[in-house]
Amino acid sequence: MSKFFRGGEESSSESDSGDEVSINGSEESSDDEQQVKKPQNKFLAGNDDSDDDSDESEEESEEESDSDDDAGKGGAGYFLKDASSESEDSDDDKRSAVKSAKDKRAEELDASIKQIENGQKNGDWTLISAEFDKLSRQVERLQGPRGKAPKTWIRTIAELEDFMNEALAKAKVTPKKMNATQARALNAMKQKIKKTNKSYQKDIDAYRADKDDFMESSEEEAPAPAPTKVKIPKSSDPIAQPTEEDMEGFTEVTQGGRTVKYTPESILKHLRAILDTRGKKNTDRSEQIGVLEKLHATANTPYQQIRVLLTLISSRFDLASGSSGAMPVEHWKSAEKELSTLFNILEQNKEYVVVENAEEWEDDEKVPVLQPGEKHIKVAGSLVSFVERLDDELGRSLQSIDPHTSEYIERLQDEGSLYNIIFRGLLYTESLRKEEDLDVSQDTVNRIVMRRLEHVYFKPAQVIKVFEDNCWKAVGSDVESDITGRAASADATNLVGTLCNYLFIHSDGIIRARAMLCQVYFLALHNEYYKARDMMLMSHLQENIPNFDVQSQILYNRTLVQVGLCAFRKGLVYDAQNTLQEICGSGRQKELLAQGVMMQRFNQVSPEQERLEKSRQLPFHMHINLELLECVYLACSMLLEIPLLAQTGSSPDVKKRVISKTYRRMLEYHERQIFTGPPENTRDHVMQASKALAAGEWKKSTTFIHNIKIWDLMANTEDIKTMLSKQIQEEGLRTYLFTYAPFYDTLSVETLGTMFELEPTKVSAIISKMISHEELSASLDQVTSNVIFRKGVELSRLQSLALTLSDKASSLIETNERTLEQRTQGSSNAFDRPGRGRGGGRGGARGRGGGGRGGGNTQRQAGGTQFTGGALGAAVRG
Amino acid sequence: MEDLLTTVSTDGSSIMPKLAPHLSRHLLFPLIQYENEQAEEQGLEEKARKIASGKIKLLEDTNMTDYVASLYCELHGTDEAPAEYNKKRQEVLADLEKHEAATAKIADLLTQDEVLNGLRSDKLANLEFLKKEHGVTMDMVNALFDFGQFQFRCGQYGPAADMLYQFRVLSTDNDKVAAATWGKLASEILQTNWDAVVDEIKNVREGIDTRLFSNPRAQLDHRTMLVHWCLFPLFNSDTARDPILDMFFSAAFINTIQTSCPWVLRYLIAAVITGRNRGRNSSLQQKQLKDIVRYVRQEAYEYTDPLTQFVNALYIAHDFESAREALRLAEQVCRSDFFLASSADAFVDAARHLICESYCKIFSRMNIHDLSEKLGLNPADGEKWIVNLIRETRLDAKIDSQDGTVVMNHPPNNVYQQVIEKTKGGFFRTQVLNAAVTKASS
Repeated sequence: MSKFFRGGEESSSESDSGDEVSINGSEESSDDEQQVKKPQNKFLAGNDDSDDDSDESEEESEEESDSDDDAGKGGAGYFLKDASSESEDSDDDKRSAVKSAKDKRAEELDASIKQIENGQKNGDWTLISAEFDKLSRQVERLQGPRGKAPKTWIRTIAELEDFMNEALAKAKVTPKKMNATQARALNAMKQKIKKTNKSYQKDIDAYRADKDDFMESSEEEAPAPAPTKVKIPKSSDPIAQPTEEDMEGFTEVTQGGRTVKYTPESILKHLRAILDTRGKKNTDRSEQIGVLEKLHATANTPYQQIRVLLTLISSRFDLASGSSGAMPVEHWKSAEKELSTLFNILEQNKEYVVVENAEEWEDDEKVPVLQPGEKHIKVAGSLVSFVERLDDELGRSLQSIDPHTSEYIERLQDEGSLYNIIFRGLLYTESLRKEEDLDVSQDTVNRIVMRRLEHVYFKPAQVIKVFEDNCWKAVGSDVESDITGRAASADATNLVGTLCNYLFIHSDGIIRARAMLCQVYFLALHNEYYKARDMMLMSHLQENIPNFDVQSQILYNRTLVQVGLCAFRKGLVYDAQNTLQEICGSGRQKELLAQGVMMQRFNQVSPEQERLEKSRQLPFHMHINLELLECVYLACSMLLEIPLLAQTGSSPDVKKRVISKTYRRMLEYHERQIFTGPPENTRDHVMQASKALAAGEWKKSTTFIHNIKIWDLMANTEDIKTMLSKQIQEEGLRTYLFTYAPFYDTLSVETLGTMFELEPTKVSAIISKMISHEELSASLDQVTSNVIFRKGVELSRLQSLALTLSDKASSLIETNERTLEQRTQGSSNAFDRPGRGRGGGRGGARGRGGGGRGGGNTQRQAGGTQFTGGALGAAVRG
Repeated sequence: MEDLLTTVSTDGSSIMPKLAPHLSRHLLFPLIQYENEQAEEQGLEEKARKIASGKIKLLEDTNMTDYVASLYCELHGTDEAPAEYNKKRQEVLADLEKHEAATAKIADLLTQDEVLNGLRSDKLANLEFLKKEHGVTMDMVNALFDFGQFQFRCGQYGPAADMLYQFRVLSTDNDKVAAATWGKLASEILQTNWDAVVDEIKNVREGIDTRLFSNPRAQLDHRTMLVHWCLFPLFNSDTARDPILDMFFSAAFINTIQTSCPWVLRYLIAAVITGRNRGRNSSLQQKQLKDIVRYVRQEAYEYTDPLTQFVNALYIAHDFESAREALRLAEQVCRSDFFLASSADAFVDAARHLICESYCKIFSRMNIHDLSEKLGLNPADGEKWIVNLIRETRLDAKIDSQDGTVVMNHPPNNVYQQVIEKTKGGFFRTQVLNAAVTKASS
């Protein structure tokens, strides 16, 4: 049901067709019990563009074609029995099965054809198109590698072509337009039919020539092969064996389950049978699991138990690889329990080990015994993969559950038990690693350590502590881990540190980079800004992160954002803005953090891509609150941009520097509004605060910012607010000075202090800073404690242009010098450098001298003017 | 060793414990000696005794047995050194003889003119030549190295340096050559032979850049060590000062300082600020000052001491009150620091200039009384100081003695002047460039 629901929701662009089809599907399934499974899938696969299903059907059809090929040797084209007589040598045994399969397909075929006919009656092209796709697929399958097409199919396509031509002609004549989806479907059909009919042209011609005759001939042929087959004795063709067994073995187990007792001795045999059917179609996996559960109950030796559990768990996972995306919850839970039982068994029976590189035990009659001189009985399997799979499945299931329901919370509680499993897996692999004769690769250990880290890094310390306590309690008091000792695990910071250090030492490439990112994330989350920043910088990941896989890039983005938020909490507005710029400035936060798919307006995304993107989404509990993120980013941008705007507004020669384009755009939009109501969302609040700040009303600005609700989500809300109001006060003062400096001769520091409720020393420190950075042309008078603004510093346009030109000229020279230096690889360095140093030195010295002596200036100035005039005059004359 | 360091750093003022791991035993010795003297001067008997015993422990592992024995006698007030020292002394003498015997032949050879004339710049050919003509073997060359090391341990730095130099000329073993270079650097530093030190620093630096190229960790460690060793010449030799400062400000070394030893910033600040009076190269100095302000800001979360606080207050916070306070503390720190003690006065003087400079930049009228207070002087001295300053730097300022104020005249920055300044160097630089291009293409 959820599948249908999702399908309808996702393919919103084609929702009408999708809905229609799903209704059809359910009707179909209700009236024909036998077909329940297959057709339902088919309907969805054919029509619903939703990701999983179409993919799954592709897989399935691939699988089927594979198995067809297998069977092809023994009973070449045995699906073609109705049409060809080549299948005589095929073995007889298959008959009953084959028959039913054939019937089923024929029925499917008929159903589809009926649908198409219905569509023709109603002129419903979407339906026709969908059914046609399905039909052609069925036919291909029926046809086998080199068979003939069924007659009904030929009839249908021929009729369809006629009907379509008619419809097209009609569409041209009638002024009434078809609706868009229908028209599209019609066009698609036109293409498809053209293509298909070409390959069946001969048959179609035959059909057109004499309709009745053609159909009859097909009926004659169909029953023909049946009697021939009966004559063939039971063959023991070795190649055909597996197919036979999977059919037979399957029925035997299901039927005989009640009659045949599962004895401990026969367990291995049963296992073998089940293993053989694995991955084959037509196997009922839930049935198998039932059998395995019974086997597990009967198993009495550790070896048997291990073997049964390994198979059981992997069959449970197989269940999930099917249609529904995530594994059913109850199966997940039992898998989790079985895995933990397995760990228990392995811990109690140390002589048995499960390793990846063990050889398969072929003899079902005997149980392997400990060889003299060997310490272990190896069983093939990979516990780490199981653990990883279990983890993945939980993630997938969390992805598909609506995070605002209690179901999500319930599901999330399973993470605790999952963490236990990961922990035990880690302990186990670690103990295996110690045994030299087992040759467990370092990679395996790394993988599981990484999993553990991934469950820890984004959580607050208290939560991690609870997890860890549970784990250690579960394993008992006498177990110790080398990688993360009991003592180290007590403190979350220590734990993350040890896990990461282990990975730094023992792994490389992507795992190492991910470990680094996890540690940075953890540090940033726990307010260790400088450590986090230094690690981030030292990792040099900025340069090579584009070469990594998408998952790591997402982790990188998340880490970056977390570092930015941490800087904000520390009150480092500039750093915070700088760090967040890359992610938040892009306007694609959702995508970059994998917390939602953006609506694609301009370029279409292929379903394949969309599916991939969905599978990358993080479960909700790992999300970083996007609204909070936006709020922080905008607040920081405001604090930086508003003084800058005021500064550039008053003096034209400062280059139009833009810190955040996103913020500027929002501000412009906000200013264009004729009427602004009271702020409703975060953005409104920040925008109105910006306006107030620009006007010098810092108190109003503070109120606006403080009224934003989302601050409550941060720890220490009060501290954050105090920090913000302090920043607003200071930036407000700066903005005020920039904006109103041209209108004042002097301003008293005292007055400024009372206006902005800052201490006079603080005010003069801020002013000093501005003067010394040459942002403000003013000076302080210590005696009267006034700010004295200098007059006549505004430049004319020509003057500022001249300055820019001279800047550019000198940067050109510098570039040239650098180029030469690179070109000559330092051979002319000795010659070049002292020259430059001396030149600059002289220039600087003289510059200060010139500035000091006021007298010389006027003369030079005059000379300068004359010179310019002369040049201009020459230009005019020339 | 640890006792010693904890004793020294009990009041937290000395950063010796941080320096110590990066210095050689022999290089550390002068520092401890200095601490010892300080303690004695301040009359801290207990501390001085502790330091002295630490000193003995420090040197026990070396071959300077005589010196250790005399130190021991001094400390314990006895004439008779314990027997173990005597025994050690005998062993050392025996070793000495052994080494001398081993190197006698090659040492003799290397004093003969005809042998030296036969040597070329190619090491392999040299070795071949010596082998053929004089029967020198690889072992003999290596014996030179061992003997050099032995001499160094004995405190015979001069002979050690010679020995290591000879070894370096002959040996082809890269690791040992690198070790010999370090040894020679230490020997030259301890002999206060600064010109040679500068050369050796260059050698070591090149070695780090090339030999350890693929091992960033070792590069970092070695650079850290080199930075610490360079502190000796930095504050003792005028000629060594500039090249070493240049080296410190190069990207690789400033990164090293920031990553592994931010406390060296203190010395960097002191060197840059005291360097201003030398005046030759003021734009370079301005640039260095700007850089150091940046580094201080970057490292503020990791390392602060009065000197960084001073820079922070003056250039980042523009808080003159705290700058004055920091300067007072910085002066104390400088006086008690081994490296900075000699230049403490110069530092304070230069720092006052800096305060005054930025004060003049910001204020247009100031009270002499306040200003002298900020400079840490009394009003009369302050006035004198300001007059001197105005005269020296030709500042555009006048003293109004009736009001007791200094009036600054800030001429507005002339646009035309700015354009001229910016384009002034252009012609010269283009010429240089042109010449370089011609040279490169010819």
